[in-house]
Amino acid sequence: MGREARVVMEDGARLMERVRAGDGTAFERLYDSYHRLVFGIALRMLGDATMAEDLTQNVFLKVWSSPDAFRDGNFGAWIARVARNRSLDVLRSRSLRDESEIPADLAEPGTLDDAVFTRLDSQRVRSALATLPDEQRSPIEMGFFGGITHDEIAKRTGIPLGTIKTRIRTGLRKLRVELDGAVSR
Amino acid sequence: MNGATEHEGMLDLVAVAALGALPAADLRFVTLHLAACAECRAEYDALRPAADAVGLIAEEPVDTLRSARMKKRLLAAIAPTANARRAPASGGLIWSSSLVAAAAVVFALVSTVQDIRLRSDLANAQRATSQLQTRVAETQRTNENERDMLADLFAAKAKRYTVADGEVVARGSHVYFALRALPALPKGKVYQAWTLAKGAKTVAPSVTFTPNASGSAVVQLPADAAALAAVALTVEPEGGSKAPTSKPTFIQPLS
Repeated sequence: MGREARVVMEDGARLMERVRAGDGTAFERLYDSYHRLVFGIALRMLGDATMAEDLTQNVFLKVWSSPDAFRDGNFGAWIARVARNRSLDVLRSRSLRDESEIPADLAEPGTLDDAVFTRLDSQRVRSALATLPDEQRSPIEMGFFGGITHDEIAKRTGIPLGTIKTRIRTGLRKLRVELDGAVSR
Repeated sequence: MNGATEHEGMLDLVAVAALGALPAADLRFVTLHLAACAECRAEYDALRPAADAVGLIAEEPVDTLRSARMKKRLLAAIAPTANARRAPASGGLIWSSSLVAAAAVVFALVSTVQDIRLRSDLANAQRATSQLQTRVAETQRTNENERDMLADLFAAKAKRYTVADGEVVARGSHVYFALRALPALPKGKVYQAWTLAKGAKTVAPSVTFTPNASGSAVVQLPADAAALAAVALTVEPEGGSKAPTSKPTFIQPLS
């Protein structure tokens, strides 16, 4: 799977160039390569396969209708963030969770993505995350996939808020160093 | 807490913002700080790609039937706008014409009976789906507007004017008040923004707002920034005034 995923992640940005020109075949290939990622994020965040299916449809329709929203960088990381933000929208609109628990996000990447990470794939990220101690990895994964704020992470884990914030920062910094090392190898 | 410790605390918050796990009010506060602090901005720029990469681990196997159904639905939705032909499906079973005819008759019989019962269920489901889609679309529009606003406030090329309690930020045609530590309002009062159009002699009333408990407020003025000569802020009775009735908290020319 790691090998397959690596090919997939490298193709995303190039396929998007063709999607911008209205190439349906490129869009189909993009879907084949990335729908498991989008579905996986939606399923983790919404906990319902039918809702995850609808969200996957919604995200890819958005990619098709507004291809310029992705400018450059790692397409997989970009569409993952889009899927995450759309899942947060669904959590809000369906009142599946208290509004105060649901985090907000800045504009989706594309302008913020780092070109050095273009070659990243899921296997490399899994390996890099695995180097973090549980106490740092866990709040990072809860923060990304849990659809909850840092306050809520602190409440649910019983760990002081200040400690959660520091662990997230320390963990992300280590992850950055690990990923830098991974892409330069 | 001394300044250095406070700044470490802000760097922690910046990391949580990069992960996307801050509540909206805290995110606005961090966004304001990022616009003014190069160190925190550099930290955000370094951590955000690492946080984005976390999403890549979520790939989930999708069963073949679901995957095919999702793809069929999606391709049908984009078909009217796709300008390229997809390759025809290859392989598969070749049915004889008599088998096809027999299957069609059976299918038609079963369908007729089921159609009657399913039609009303389908109509109900479609109504419910339509209502949900409307709600999701409304929420998405709201959130997209909010994200656009944060992107404007965060933009390196935005014009920033420092005022007593924060900043006036202009980017493209948009203009915002990003204010912190505003004095608490007396009961029955609100803050009101005012705009002075280029060439105009009097100010026009704009939005009214109430800051949050810590005195922070981020407000977009419904005006074209390029057409404005200045903006101002006053305290007014609830509901707003047609002309300022108090001494301005600030008056800021827009160059």
